[in-house]
Amino acid sequence: MMVVIERSLDEPVYEQIARQIRECVASGELSPGTPLPTVRVLASDLGVNLNTVARAYWMLEEEGFIRIRDRSGARVAAPARKPAGDRERLRQELRETLARLRQAGFTSEDLHRLVEREIASLADGRDK
Amino acid sequence: METRIIWISFLVLLGVIGGFYFLFPRISRSGLLFGVYVGEEVSKSEAARRITRSWYLGMALWLAAAVALALIMGLQYQSVPGSSAALFLLPLGFLEEYLRAYWRARKLARGRAAPLAAAVILTEEPKPLFLPYMAMGFGLVGGLYSIGYAWSHYAQLPDLVPIHFGLLGQPDSWRPRSFSTVMMLPTMCLVMGVGIAGMAYLIGQAKRAIRYGDQGVSFEAQQRFRRIMANFLAIVSLLLTGMLTILSQSSIEVGLRRAQALSPAMMMLTLILVIFALAGSIYIAVRYGQGGSRLEKSAADRPLTDGLADNRLWVLGMFYVNRDDPSLFVERRFGLGYTINFGNPKAVALLGGFIGLIILIAIIAKFAS
Repeated sequence: MMVVIERSLDEPVYEQIARQIRECVASGELSPGTPLPTVRVLASDLGVNLNTVARAYWMLEEEGFIRIRDRSGARVAAPARKPAGDRERLRQELRETLARLRQAGFTSEDLHRLVEREIASLADGRDK
Repeated sequence: METRIIWISFLVLLGVIGGFYFLFPRISRSGLLFGVYVGEEVSKSEAARRITRSWYLGMALWLAAAVALALIMGLQYQSVPGSSAALFLLPLGFLEEYLRAYWRARKLARGRAAPLAAAVILTEEPKPLFLPYMAMGFGLVGGLYSIGYAWSHYAQLPDLVPIHFGLLGQPDSWRPRSFSTVMMLPTMCLVMGVGIAGMAYLIGQAKRAIRYGDQGVSFEAQQRFRRIMANFLAIVSLLLTGMLTILSQSSIEVGLRRAQALSPAMMMLTLILVIFALAGSIYIAVRYGQGGSRLEKSAADRPLTDGLADNRLWVLGMFYVNRDDPSLFVERRFGLGYTINFGNPKAVALLGGFIGLIILIAIIAKFAS
């Protein structure tokens, strides 16, 4: 996979890195157990500060997308077997997103189609 | 006879260095023009071709001037220092022509937006390089052995020791024995062997510059170029350590009057080292191109990313200065191989330390004599 940084965006660089890795994990492009480059290697290739990549990795670890081990570096984490403890928070985030989409003019039907399409694309990615 | 061989060597060296300079524009990565990222389309435009043609013409004149100087000094005055001045004239001309082309290329890059930064995440880690580690170990062993050998024979050496040898290995200059005179060569063996092997290792970890949306073509090319450069330098380090180890031991043997001249193995290894270094550099330049440019032709129209494409991070197109970037070594924009990130204090300390050590050894040797 390729991580691309656009400095002209309002989104912070660490968030851009985390978002792209998150998307690849969710779509199955990066499968559980896949090693991620070390903070130094990724920072060097992107030409960004070490702290920027470290911050993205910490964020992903907190969200359960990767595991960080001192010796073997960072690896993609397996999905949690049981719903995570912060299920309520995630549901709240989904509600907020849906509310924003409604505000942006999406009808209930549009939202259904959108959610189904996204779920299907995640399933396709995992089947790869 | 010896002067003639040296003089011919100058002419050959002039031809090789000049030939290399002429190769540089041909092996540059698409989008880069004399140290400036002008974009893939502009680098193929008529304006870019005009700058390149003018550079070739200027370099041809400088090369002709350097050869003429070497011929006049050699044929008319039989002067080796005079002929060697030609070797300084050519890089001087190169710098002048490069800067002129650089300023012209900058005009073509005006108004370019900031480039994207991109990195590839591999699902499988590439195999680690073995040769740089081996060269570092060999450099350490060879250097320490040379120091130990010189140390253990120091007391037996006569008052005058040889410090310079002719082309056939016969000593042609002697100096009073001193610890620094005797230890200079073994120390140089340690510093050069380990230092070059260390650079080979670091080049194996150098920053990768890829093209956006090219299906991994430029990444693969970069990986191959990086590996070949690291292995090439590691072999140079191995040969150099071997040559300097034998030279150190052999010069002690000559000093002790146990031998009349340097070991033939040393002379043979020197020849192999010179041929390998020259032929290897030419092979890499022609086969791979700078940064693997000749392997990524199918993706040459895709935009370059990151530091290599960001003109704000390069001073005169030669010095990469990015304080945020933890990279030590980065790909050169013009020429062959890698340069350091001058914005990283570790990289500057590393290069400064290496050059400083060599200068220190040379100064000690000078004062000792």
